[in-house]
Amino acid sequence: MSELIEGKPGQRYLLMGNQAIARGALEAGVSVAAGYPGTPSSEIIENLAKVADEANMYVEWSSNEKVAAEVAAAASFAGLRSLCVMKQNGVNVASDFLLHLVGGGTRGGMVIVPCDDPGALSSINEGESRHFARMLEIPLLEPGDFQEAKDMVKWAFELSEQIGNLVMLRSVTRLSHASGSVKLGALPENRPRARFRHGGFVLDPQEGAVTSAPVAYKHVLQQEKLEKAESLFEDCPFNTYTGPENPELLVITSSACNLYCREAIEILGVSDRAGLLKLGTTWPLPKKLIRTHLENCSKVLVVEEVIPFLEENLKVLAAELAMEIGPRTIFAKRDKTIPSVGEMNPDYVIAALVKIFDLSYEAAPADYVEKAGLCVMAGAPGRDLTFCPGCPHRASYWTLHNVLALDNRDGFICGDIGCYSLGMRETGYYALKTMHAMGSGTGLASGFGKLDQFGMDQPIVAVSGDSTFFHSVIPALVNAVHYNADITLVVFDNSGTAMTGFQPHPGLEVDAMGHDAPSIDIESVCRAVGAQTTVCDPFDMELTRDILLEKITGKNGVQVLIFKQSCALSPEKKGKPRYEMHLDENICIGENCGCNKLCTRVFKCPGLNWDEKNQHARIDEVICAGCGVCASVCPTGAITKKERA
Amino acid sequence: MQIYGPGELLDDVLQTGLCISCGACVHLCPYFATWRGKTAMMFSCDRKQGRCHAFCPKTEVDLDQLSSKANNADYTGAPMGAYQQVFMARAGDKSGGGDFQDGGTVSALVRFALETGRIDAAVLTGRNGLMPSPGLVTHSGEVAAFAGSKYTAAPTLVSLNDGIKQGYGRMGVVGTPCQMTAVAQMRSNPMQDSDFSDPVALTIGLFCTWALDARGLLAFMEKRAPEEEILKIRIPPPPAGILVLETQSRTIEIPLDDIRSLVPEGCRVCPDMTAEWADVSVGAMEGEDGWNTLVVRSEKGLKLAEDAASAGYIVLADFPETSLSHLNTAAAAKKKRAFDRACSQGLVNTEKGGRAVLRVNKQALEKMISEPGGIHE
Repeated sequence: MSELIEGKPGQRYLLMGNQAIARGALEAGVSVAAGYPGTPSSEIIENLAKVADEANMYVEWSSNEKVAAEVAAAASFAGLRSLCVMKQNGVNVASDFLLHLVGGGTRGGMVIVPCDDPGALSSINEGESRHFARMLEIPLLEPGDFQEAKDMVKWAFELSEQIGNLVMLRSVTRLSHASGSVKLGALPENRPRARFRHGGFVLDPQEGAVTSAPVAYKHVLQQEKLEKAESLFEDCPFNTYTGPENPELLVITSSACNLYCREAIEILGVSDRAGLLKLGTTWPLPKKLIRTHLENCSKVLVVEEVIPFLEENLKVLAAELAMEIGPRTIFAKRDKTIPSVGEMNPDYVIAALVKIFDLSYEAAPADYVEKAGLCVMAGAPGRDLTFCPGCPHRASYWTLHNVLALDNRDGFICGDIGCYSLGMRETGYYALKTMHAMGSGTGLASGFGKLDQFGMDQPIVAVSGDSTFFHSVIPALVNAVHYNADITLVVFDNSGTAMTGFQPHPGLEVDAMGHDAPSIDIESVCRAVGAQTTVCDPFDMELTRDILLEKITGKNGVQVLIFKQSCALSPEKKGKPRYEMHLDENICIGENCGCNKLCTRVFKCPGLNWDEKNQHARIDEVICAGCGVCASVCPTGAITKKERA
Repeated sequence: MQIYGPGELLDDVLQTGLCISCGACVHLCPYFATWRGKTAMMFSCDRKQGRCHAFCPKTEVDLDQLSSKANNADYTGAPMGAYQQVFMARAGDKSGGGDFQDGGTVSALVRFALETGRIDAAVLTGRNGLMPSPGLVTHSGEVAAFAGSKYTAAPTLVSLNDGIKQGYGRMGVVGTPCQMTAVAQMRSNPMQDSDFSDPVALTIGLFCTWALDARGLLAFMEKRAPEEEILKIRIPPPPAGILVLETQSRTIEIPLDDIRSLVPEGCRVCPDMTAEWADVSVGAMEGEDGWNTLVVRSEKGLKLAEDAASAGYIVLADFPETSLSHLNTAAAAKKKRAFDRACSQGLVNTEKGGRAVLRVNKQALEKMISEPGGIHE
């Protein structure tokens, strides 16, 4: 993204929210940025990494979010501005360090950007990060549009330096991944020199050692920083009000919901009745500002996503103010005016306004909704959530499923987050039976592997991606080896953090900025911790099956099997099929006894179709990735492969 | 015989414990597979009818249909099935010798059949430790490695299905009564495939009272003898009531009562002790070490026995009357036990669309479940 660095001040660009945040970081003069990939956050680090050399920055994909926070904090301690970026789950991982960090404070401005995923569009939980700001007792900023996404970053760094502590700037999917017009600001000329000062008085925040102890003393300082932030929030340019002086209803919102509220008010034509207080600073709430607005209005609607964070904090203020300004009616999540889970949209806000104002409103005629539904049903082909053609995971799960079925002892697989989470569905033959946080599959397996003393006799398999291996599997693997749990760990090594867009990880010979980097060999790590380790190609299905059968039979402690095969979408593979595939229609027995459409009914690679008219399978040459796996699956030898020249 | 699909096979056989892992359904298609003595269904298959179900010896076995095909008559319920003659037999001088269980008759007949071109391949069962390991043999020199009783349920018929795929058209199959039942059903082309041709030229049945679950036996033995040290397993004739394990260093005797729980449910409803659907059936010879009982059933079987004897591969002798009486008693007792159990579970001649394990005419059934005191045909 050249405009990120080449764009001139005053020029306007259409930027994705994450690009806007990245440009904001550049304008703020950030020296160090670190993160771990995770949708919807990944593009921030990706974009910064691309311009790192030009901008004289250091950017890394850390092995996990806690390490990312530590790497960024080090820069702050050395007097530089630093950014750390992650999706909402990452804050959970980083939180242990963060809780210590905020007790001791920061030096160079440090901003953490979590990108939350209301509605869990690309997550398996809806957990959010705002409550971490309250728990960590740090200021929380939430941009309400794309311009703010950029501008607020610089403001956040200034705030961080004014109070000497971490600042959280929270985005959500609809800001991070949608695009808007952004007017650029200037890029700084110089960066400070890095130096960690530690020789001064031990309690000196700029010259002493950095730690959260003594807690009784430091915690007081920390809360004073938060109070300072609150007072700065009273005049923050990102808290805006639009609407009549004395509205019938005060709508209070933040983040992407700002856009939904504006749209709803406009559609209903109630801008003369409803005022919109858009808050950019949502923790701590600026009390005086809130009071000014509450004084002018007796009814309040709070619009936010997921947990009632803004609502609860507002209610605390309202309760404190009630003796002076009288009680206020607050419509929000707790009274069900606003849904308590999932993403918001303009329709939800419209519904809330219609209820409060007692309006009648029909978004679309009922028959239109019905017809649209029918069109969707009839016109759009049914598509499964499925692995890509040529995806190594399909072959891997085929073998894993078959081995566990053959073994016939009700074995199961514990897994976690990645493309391979689809193992819970048909495309993974329903082989995956537990799915939690990154690394949890191996930790759970370690636990299951010790239940034999209570009569458990099922084989236990854990699966992990290669990036996940470095992120959080290693401690669980060490645990399993140390306690001699009878488990088999299968590492799906597809040579990159595939699900989030192929970001490099410590197992690769390249870093986020495209520079050469020493790679860490997963096999050697596993061997070093004492696991019996084998590497094989999941496309060699017979050999893989035999190795896996041997590993899960018998009680042999921790066994590791590394399935090494690059992602079908990896740059070195995409568009370069290895095999020319051929399906002989005369050999294919289709639905007959002996096959019954194994390839199209069960194996289900999207590159294979069922020809209903001629009653045989066929290869879809447009999307076939030429991996050759279906030739091993076909029971009659109708599918053959030929190495391409 | 009623033919259903893989779903019914899963419900009625695999999930009820009736499966004795004979291998009849394995390698016909990708849906059934075997590993370490157990048959598993890999994926669901929605066919209404399948060869897997049609061949299975533990569901919808119609004894009258089998009898009609083999003997042109309804099933009589005779304890040892239909046969022409019973001999005492053992391997002859030309058989090549080997580490036989008893008289070596089976190995000798297989070698003879291979060497005379009566069969182009033999489906046999070997042993890998305690795990039964089926094999397809085309040279008589390979036969000796498969000698000896296994006493474990074995997926022997996998090798038959493999042999068909490899194009063998005159195979000899050595197997237990359940496996002979499956082979007989398979040879009747129950699915009426238009391109069917009988791939089997000879069937040699093995007497069997029951088999042991291979995985169960392995787990049982784990605490008693290292698997790799076991040289031979023997169950001496009654009333010994023991299983004898010979290892490199010692002989271990295990009371049969200790291992009876390892007998699969499928064996408990099996009415066939003497492998009634084979050309010839072979078992131990009571009271005569080094000899077998050889039951000759078909014309082909008689010719094989006679020719093998003339050629010196086997030695035949008259079968003592008392032994025949004992054999009949034992075979009748197995029938009664099996039908009593199967009837009590509602698995025989089920009506109104209910699926049966066994079907047989009323007369024979009544004969088999009446007290088998001293039956002697």
